[in-house]
Amino acid sequence: MMEFKNIVTKKEIRKMLWRSSFLQTGYNYERRQANGWLYCMLPGLLKVYENEPEEMIEVAKNHVTYIGTHPFLVTFVQGVIISMEETRQDRELINSLKISLMSPLGGVGDALIWMTLLPITAGVGASIAMGGSIMGPIIFFVAFNAVHLFLRLFLMDYGYRLGTGAAVTLKKSTKKISRASSIVGMMVVGSLIPTYVKFSLPLTLDVGNKIFNLQTDLFDKIMPGFLPLLFTYFCYYLLTKKKATPMKLIYICIAIGIIGGLLGIYKYVPFTF
Amino acid sequence: MTISIIQILLLATLAGICGIDLYNGQIHIHRPIITGPLVGLILGDLETGLIAGASLEFVWMALVPLAGAQPPNVVIGGILGTAFTIITQQDPSIAVGLALPFAIIGQIVTISFFSFIAVINPWVDKAIEAHDFKKYDRIMFGWQATYFAINFVIVFIPLYFGADQSINLINSMPQWLIAGLAAVGGIMPAVGFATLCKIMYKKAYLPFFVVGVILAAYLKLPVLAVAIVGCAVAAYDYYMNDKIEKVEESLGDNLYDGI
Repeated sequence: MMEFKNIVTKKEIRKMLWRSSFLQTGYNYERRQANGWLYCMLPGLLKVYENEPEEMIEVAKNHVTYIGTHPFLVTFVQGVIISMEETRQDRELINSLKISLMSPLGGVGDALIWMTLLPITAGVGASIAMGGSIMGPIIFFVAFNAVHLFLRLFLMDYGYRLGTGAAVTLKKSTKKISRASSIVGMMVVGSLIPTYVKFSLPLTLDVGNKIFNLQTDLFDKIMPGFLPLLFTYFCYYLLTKKKATPMKLIYICIAIGIIGGLLGIYKYVPFTF
Repeated sequence: MTISIIQILLLATLAGICGIDLYNGQIHIHRPIITGPLVGLILGDLETGLIAGASLEFVWMALVPLAGAQPPNVVIGGILGTAFTIITQQDPSIAVGLALPFAIIGQIVTISFFSFIAVINPWVDKAIEAHDFKKYDRIMFGWQATYFAINFVIVFIPLYFGADQSINLINSMPQWLIAGLAAVGGIMPAVGFATLCKIMYKKAYLPFFVVGVILAAYLKLPVLAVAIVGCAVAAYDYYMNDKIEKVEESLGDNLYDGI
């Protein structure tokens, strides 16, 4: 029977909980919450890899890749992942489990919190405030944050216990579980690309008697999400085969947008109520 | 009524703090129902602030940043909407009309900020490479400070120069640049996915990747549904491999027995 020593203590968990409020620090469209995610995980990771700076660098690099989830429910994933880091699970397993857990949780959290908890508490609070009572905002603040903080605290603990409890089983059949987790992970990554990359070229060409729209008459006919996939592959190709730095790719994106704006391909459409 | 420079600075600071709360911390002091009475307190009219905040809350109720999509900025809309209600002594429904152009500016600037601030990613990587996590934290703090400043300025300008004059200022901003930067926000995740694939890609898993793409691109399935399909496929794969292993084991014994 394998046994694991507890390395991550209450102190690190507390720090990770505090930092979990800053999941969206460093947010940008390339990595979404990845910079913030590493920020949230740092207290635990630095403790686990205290005496292995080289390993710590590798681990940190794995954690700053694209991630998007709900900022309240993230503590569950933090708990699971830090327990897996602590028990030194397979890297491939950690990576794929992370993306398979976080991406769907984003949708669950949107429905649960932004579309249910917020309208209910804000609606009740605003109705009371309409009558001129200061109790309106107070009730909203207390009710909303009671659920908010309960979720944060409870989910971190629950995730950590779940991860630690499964540690031995995970370690025993690492290969098989890693494979299963990679299957889910790759399917999720595949689905994220057409969902989150928005890349179109609505260029219109006047061909004699007909107006030809490059986007709707060509790319959309080939396959939906054709350009996002093609461009993602192009970035992947530059990264792996041409050893391009992400910096270069970021500049390419900014250049495409600005040139597109200059040529009038991209137009700003104000949001309407 | 006229307002003093101290009041303007207080309102702009409130906007900066609430701008941070919109994405980090998220104890939701940035909602109009809270900012309304706070603006009221600063301008010396708590009651109007309370009621204006509540009516603006209903306006913004359904507009939350889902999965990175940006509605008109609730912080700017709530704070300026309430402030204009009190300053112009008009109905909140009219004041929100004055505040809306700035809420939209808040939205556009936020989108542009999220696109452009990706330039910190290489610095982040460098800090990691050097095992300098103090520096990492400092970069993250810099991000927060920048977003604080953005919200501060957007609220400061219309209160200092007046709403009408500020709108001229907004109109003089180059539209093509704004449109271009907003488009960058859609294109840039491709870089993130490419990096992710570099770490996770293995030839054996390519078929599953393709299935994920098809489910989302053609069937428009949400990510949760794709994850559930993925779990079903993974479970099937797991048990089939288990079975094959067992058959091989028993076959192996028989094989040696026969010989």
